[in-house]
Amino acid sequence: MISDEAYKELEEAVGVDNVSRHPAVLDSYAFQPFENHESMPWCPRPVAVALPSTTQEVSEVIKACNRHNLKHKAFSTGWGLWCGPTTDDVVQIDLRRMNRIVEIDEKNMFAVIEPYVCGAQLQAEAMKVGLNTHIIGAGPNCSPLASATSMHGVGHDSIYMSYSARNVLGLEWVMPTGEVTRLGAPGSGKGWFCGDGPGPSLRGTMRGYTGALGGMGVFTRVALKLYNWPGPPEIESTGTVVDVMSEVPDCLRIFGCFFPDKDRLADAYYDIGEAEIGYNCLKVATPAFMMILAPHLFKKLKGTENLRRLLGGTLGQMFLIILAGISREDLDHQVDVLKAIVDEHLGFVLDAKNIPTLGSNLAMNFIRATMPALVFRIGGSFSTALGRNDSLDTQLAWGEAIAEIKRGYAKKEMIIDDMGDNPYFVPYENNTWAHCEVVYPYDHRSEKHLAGSSAINMDFIINAIESCMEPMFGVVPSARKVLSPLTSNFNRWQRKLSEALDPDQTSDKGFYTDEAEFDFTNVPPERVERLQKLVEDLTWTELGPPE
Amino acid sequence: MSLEDYRRDIEGCSRCSSCKWVPYNQIKSWRFSKNCPSIYRHNFHTYSGSGRMVIGLSLMEGRAELDETVAEMIFRCQLCGACDSACKTYRDDIDISEVLLELRSYCVESGELLVEHMAVIDSLKREGNSLGELKTARGDWARGLDVKDVNSETCDVLFHAGCRYSYDPDARETVRGDIQLLRSAGLDIGVAGVEEACCGGRAYELGYRGEASNYADDVLNRVKSSGAGTLVTACSDCYSHFQYIYPKIGKELPVEVLHVSQVMDRLIDNGRLDFKHELPLSVTYHDPCHLGRKGEPFTGVWTGDKLDRPMSLKRSGRKGIYDAPRNLLYAMPGVELVEMERIREYAWCCGAGGGVLEAFPDFSASTTVERIEEALATGAEALVTACPWCLRVFKDAVDQTSADLEVYDLADLALISAGVAQPASV
Amino acid sequence: MQTKSTDPKVFRRAVGPENVSTEESELEHFRTAGLSSRGEPAAVVRPQGTAQLREVILLARETATNLVFTSSAPPRFRGDTVPAGEGIIVDLSGMDRILRIDRRNKVAYIEPGVTFNNLIERADEAGLKVLMPLLPRKSKSVLACFLEREPIIIPKYHWDMTDPLLCTEMVFGSGDLFRTGTAGSPGGIDRQLKAGLAHKNPLGPGATDFLRIVQGSQGTLAGVTWATIKLEAKPTVHKIYFACDDRLERLVAFTYRALRPRLGDEWLILGARSLATIIAESPGSIDELARRQAPWTLVYGVSGYRYYPEERLAVQENELARIAQAVGVRPVPEVPSCPAKKMEEILAGPSPYPYYKTVPRGAFADVAFLTTLDKAGAMVEVMSTACDAHGYPPSELGIYIQPIQQGRTAHVEFTVYYDPADEADRARACELVEAASWELDEAGAFFSRPYGSLSRIAFRNCPDSVEALRKVKQVMDPDNVLNRGKLCFGEEVV
Repeated sequence: MISDEAYKELEEAVGVDNVSRHPAVLDSYAFQPFENHESMPWCPRPVAVALPSTTQEVSEVIKACNRHNLKHKAFSTGWGLWCGPTTDDVVQIDLRRMNRIVEIDEKNMFAVIEPYVCGAQLQAEAMKVGLNTHIIGAGPNCSPLASATSMHGVGHDSIYMSYSARNVLGLEWVMPTGEVTRLGAPGSGKGWFCGDGPGPSLRGTMRGYTGALGGMGVFTRVALKLYNWPGPPEIESTGTVVDVMSEVPDCLRIFGCFFPDKDRLADAYYDIGEAEIGYNCLKVATPAFMMILAPHLFKKLKGTENLRRLLGGTLGQMFLIILAGISREDLDHQVDVLKAIVDEHLGFVLDAKNIPTLGSNLAMNFIRATMPALVFRIGGSFSTALGRNDSLDTQLAWGEAIAEIKRGYAKKEMIIDDMGDNPYFVPYENNTWAHCEVVYPYDHRSEKHLAGSSAINMDFIINAIESCMEPMFGVVPSARKVLSPLTSNFNRWQRKLSEALDPDQTSDKGFYTDEAEFDFTNVPPERVERLQKLVEDLTWTELGPPE
Repeated sequence: MSLEDYRRDIEGCSRCSSCKWVPYNQIKSWRFSKNCPSIYRHNFHTYSGSGRMVIGLSLMEGRAELDETVAEMIFRCQLCGACDSACKTYRDDIDISEVLLELRSYCVESGELLVEHMAVIDSLKREGNSLGELKTARGDWARGLDVKDVNSETCDVLFHAGCRYSYDPDARETVRGDIQLLRSAGLDIGVAGVEEACCGGRAYELGYRGEASNYADDVLNRVKSSGAGTLVTACSDCYSHFQYIYPKIGKELPVEVLHVSQVMDRLIDNGRLDFKHELPLSVTYHDPCHLGRKGEPFTGVWTGDKLDRPMSLKRSGRKGIYDAPRNLLYAMPGVELVEMERIREYAWCCGAGGGVLEAFPDFSASTTVERIEEALATGAEALVTACPWCLRVFKDAVDQTSADLEVYDLADLALISAGVAQPASV
Repeated sequence: MQTKSTDPKVFRRAVGPENVSTEESELEHFRTAGLSSRGEPAAVVRPQGTAQLREVILLARETATNLVFTSSAPPRFRGDTVPAGEGIIVDLSGMDRILRIDRRNKVAYIEPGVTFNNLIERADEAGLKVLMPLLPRKSKSVLACFLEREPIIIPKYHWDMTDPLLCTEMVFGSGDLFRTGTAGSPGGIDRQLKAGLAHKNPLGPGATDFLRIVQGSQGTLAGVTWATIKLEAKPTVHKIYFACDDRLERLVAFTYRALRPRLGDEWLILGARSLATIIAESPGSIDELARRQAPWTLVYGVSGYRYYPEERLAVQENELARIAQAVGVRPVPEVPSCPAKKMEEILAGPSPYPYYKTVPRGAFADVAFLTTLDKAGAMVEVMSTACDAHGYPPSELGIYIQPIQQGRTAHVEFTVYYDPADEADRARACELVEAASWELDEAGAFFSRPYGSLSRIAFRNCPDSVEALRKVKQVMDPDNVLNRGKLCFGEEVV
């Protein structure tokens, strides 16, 4: 409950039309089914929802919360359990009204945006001036600001456009106290061209490998790097996703590259990186393509063992790569290089130019990262085993290990059999490091699948620890509690910083520093023991990890 | 069907917010990237397709109670279907539009009624139209036309004018012209005149299903008695209701149902209609929701798990009438079509639908202005549509905002180009 | 906590008596540097590993001793290794092992004492290239260099400000050990390597990035005991070009258009004096050489790699030639007294001993800051005006403009040369640097890594950040034992 007095202050902060405590409104915010592995799709209901339109209003909302001992939790586009409150005394700040592209600096290749600008919007505007923006794999519906400041940030353009966290050039931040600060050059009033300094970089308190997920104030503006776009101001296209047909710009070539085995595929990745070619690159198991494009057909065919072998095996080691050239000569060179590399590693290329409809479909879908949303088609939901980004080899190994775990659960029908390892594997920054997460579809409306998803997640955590990885899903309080002592005690330090910058702990810390016990209900005893043994063996002492 | 029948649809929502945006591959600018007038205006997630579905879940689970405020949240929506269509770009197992209709019915059955909607229903009951006009004046629009009266004669083609065309003085000439044009092309046409009544679709959308059913029966009987093989309507609303709601409630019409733009398109195709008069005009075309995404025919009921529903039964909005109106514009000499960014199944609504025009005129008007601004951004001289409801609100908005934009009914341009009407009005 | 005198012998407990020195010959290197104020180093302590460093820090906390880290051998110029008042120097230069070079993943594991020459040699053996700053001094610690966010000369490899630094092990001022990036993942390093990690991810662990916090902190928050740094593949073919112009704007226009699609490798703009200083064979030839150069010279490299190297080289050359023509710039293979080959060699290694910037007059002072390339010209104007006002000939000013973050940001570095033996000359340089810094600040210069008195200018602009940074300092160095008084952690700032 929120007191009348507190509510009135929220109204004064954002206007009466932009705050609500009606149960039906609150429930529309308490509904957070994605990555919610509980049987019902709710998170704790906020006590009020406020919709600020300016940084000043955000500040006033937070100050009002602080005066009344209420916590606050902000989101941008609001997709995922982590966007909702984790306790019962939270004011939800919906940043939807802060939706402006403040500036696109064409020359210096950056954009300053507010939280509710989505990836598709920013890309559409950037392309008009020959630039492009990194769009995360979750899709163009997501907020680039939220990704860069608060979440993860991988996308299939990462080969050319990096990782969201590394694209920040400046930040406006309403601290948990309600004070407004700017990081980097904008903090000194010098422009939005550098997010670090003077001296130590407070960007390091903003986020690390993951973000604070709303647990450390509210980010109201960010300057993000934009990247060169050699194509037209708009990719002409008809249709929407599955049927989209685009005019493939002359500056692009699209190839599927298939290899006889994982090692050769990995070698090719490394060589492509050193050749510094590629604009967009994604390794996806071929069954996944069929699954998202034709789910009914997929269901009919997945019992066919030969097909499983063909798609998951023979054609399984493949990636799709888009080359972008600034001239015909440049593009031709990249094509020559790609073909030579694939050839050297005994692979073959499928040139989308020879299958015009395929190329026409993939161009827009990949450049705008639109296809991942289709993963919902097979089961209504999906979850993912998020590994810890590092070398390409590590990530490919993670993909294999997780695929093996998945197969067991699929066989027991505790998740949906997707007939392949279904990794979302993307290389970063000229293939110098990489990301791999392994997607598994399930139906969150099925009790059996829910039980499966909580059990499989435990196996992922165990495997991550065995593979020396801090999994990205360590944002869950129970995982954090287990992982922190094995991982530089990071949460101890995170919490100290949190307490220093948020002395009254007014931001909702559920997905940032809170810890909780695991629910082992659906986990076999031997797995629980394995986890406990790993924790015992790998817990840091004051001299570091046991070597 | 009831709200409970859609529980699985609701629980299937991942809250990805795709229901709020133009399909991402078709987002062409920051400015015109949103698709839902309701959340665009009211901002709380509650006002989106997803948010309203959650209201349904909350009500079913007893977490929230239906009250006047909740009812208003439910009714502040044009039922334009953009959310449904956008969601189905990516999903197969959620029918948002159905949930929205069930919510309205739930409100009406629970006694949470809007006064303005009750007035509409009263008008329907008393006068057979949704506009509060006299039933006796229903057939005035056709007075003096050389056209059959289906109350006493049979015909091949029954022409249904609809409430707005029958009564709105700015629209009447259009349907008169339609009749002239179709007759000149050799069609054997009849009208019901004063006996024509509302199709009932508006009642269905407002949640008054009993009334809707009664009017459907009325139309069904008239169609049968007319001996017609084809029902043609100029009204997009009526078209959608004939094609979708009627079969859904078991009142499928036993004839081919066509919008007048489809008929003209066919006539051009088979050489019975020729656009020969030059119309030097750059236009942009507004897809009426009820002709476009909501004009997609009823595809049948699937009672199993919607994850397994055949694609042929998935109503995505993509099989609406988009090409026929454009074909007409392409065929008109001198007319240049410049598309807006939001077209076809992801078109922005005119603002008039779902009872919003009657109950929340400010909200309706702001939605209309948004479309006017989009039309102006194309640089076109005129905004053309194929629905009298859209036409009405566009004309009013242009008058009120003094926007430098002409507004035309597609049929009016066709009539001029075909030489049936004088170009003076253009 | 107040500074107090500490008996250096205390630290023998941590590192052994042989690793504690109070010899004046050693201490004198830490009394002053460049234009810095004078410090009072009491001893030099040399930990031999992480555990010893930790002990040193814990002892410092017990005894409220100020610790100042150094990893490079002298000469030193910036003053960050000169204690503010009394202090113990913690010299990590003896920890100088290159622990591992991973060819496949292009990464080196290095301790703080590793210098560029050592690393270049080892990397070269593996077919890899070290990402170089412009002519670091020979004795400069690679790790320290990148901890200070020194810009590298190949902008396309500078994706983010932490580059090329990746993972680190550090000991906070609290004495706690921490590992950043994937080095902080579960398990020790050996176990991690066996699992295939290559320590390429600099972020985290968790939702905090301590590497980023510690970078630029001048040893005020933590000591770093080893790190991984990014290397790149050596090109198969490589060429250097010059573009000379009397108008900086043209070279800036060329740079914008070239770097946007990441053309070119090395990419830097030098004023005539800086260029002459770099290429001169002897101090006496600098003036003459500077006169013969165009006012502005852009130096850029192009490369071909393993596959179709000549083809790639040709593509790059052609694209750049096309852009050059469009903006009215003419690429040439040499400038007076410096053919491309010579420049290629210069850029590939560290500066000759002791340091190229000391060659003209014996000493120098830098004014370095960040801006955007389009504002670099205006900054040059401001600096030239300040030079005029202080009687320092602008033509003798060193100017170096380095695009970073793939061209989105520009590191601008002005160098004022002076004779350290000439008190008036030194005073003039001191006054010029001080005055120009204020004026450049007014003009929009962002002093992202302020040394010495520049901190006053840099931090007055961002009181909010100062408040936050002090809270961070309190967390990581609760007893304020690390490089007390530096940056915004002294009382004089803000």
